[in-house]
Amino acid sequence: MSAESATLPAKRPAKREPVIPNGVLGMMIFIFTEIMFFSGLISAHTIVKSQAAGQMWPPYGQPRLPIEETALNSLALLVSGMVLVFTWFAFKRDPGQARIPLLLSIILGSIFVGFQGAEWAALLADGLTMQSSSYGGFFYLIVGTHAIHAVGALIALLWTYDKLNKDELRSSQLATVSAFWYFVVLVWPILYWQVYL
Amino acid sequence: MRAAFVLALTLALVALLPEAAWACPVCFDSSDENRQAFIATTVFLSLLPLGMVAGAGLYVRKRARDLSDEASNSESPD
Repeated sequence: MSAESATLPAKRPAKREPVIPNGVLGMMIFIFTEIMFFSGLISAHTIVKSQAAGQMWPPYGQPRLPIEETALNSLALLVSGMVLVFTWFAFKRDPGQARIPLLLSIILGSIFVGFQGAEWAALLADGLTMQSSSYGGFFYLIVGTHAIHAVGALIALLWTYDKLNKDELRSSQLATVSAFWYFVVLVWPILYWQVYL
Repeated sequence: MRAAFVLALTLALVALLPEAAWACPVCFDSSDENRQAFIATTVFLSLLPLGMVAGAGLYVRKRARDLSDEASNSESPD
């Protein structure tokens, strides 16, 4: 052992906090790919819509989408996202206070998914299917893909709620799951505008 | 002689170009609305990833600066 190493105190490098938590960074990258995926679907839909025979969209003989009812349902989804923002601030103050807003957010999200399911059943009964036209094909593809994301995000929110009840939830976990739900909430108005209006 | 051959070859290659140009969906279409849709979606899909990467870069830089400021404030003796 040299004299220098014996006299100098061992200096440990300070533990550095990551600029963005790993989970949030991973979720950001995932959301970027999802944004590109939905953008591809919207672009394809826009082009097919512009090629519609006689510029008639929806095509002749196809049922109209329930615009007003879905607008109301969209409101439930948007409120769910806003409540999740309150959940975050409540969690920062005291994790116990985040339980009710988180549960409310999950309930509102479930209402949205449930209503979308009912809407699908009604449209299928009216004759709008994947095979009936490109209109139906795009509707089920785009809205169905969003519904799958919404269900996945709801499962993640339920997992978060379970962790919160057990006092095991970390803020990075809540931020990661919230980021996914915000994506589901914020992409919906664009899909609604493109597909329904 | 050689110059004439090069000129003939160039003209032959140029003669092939209209095929490629007509295959461009953004450039020609009987429906103006369809052409506009192709242009709009091409621009949208080209700029979106660039915007996202730039946005993420700016966000990370801001977060790093905020953390750096917090660390320097906590180290200051006052």
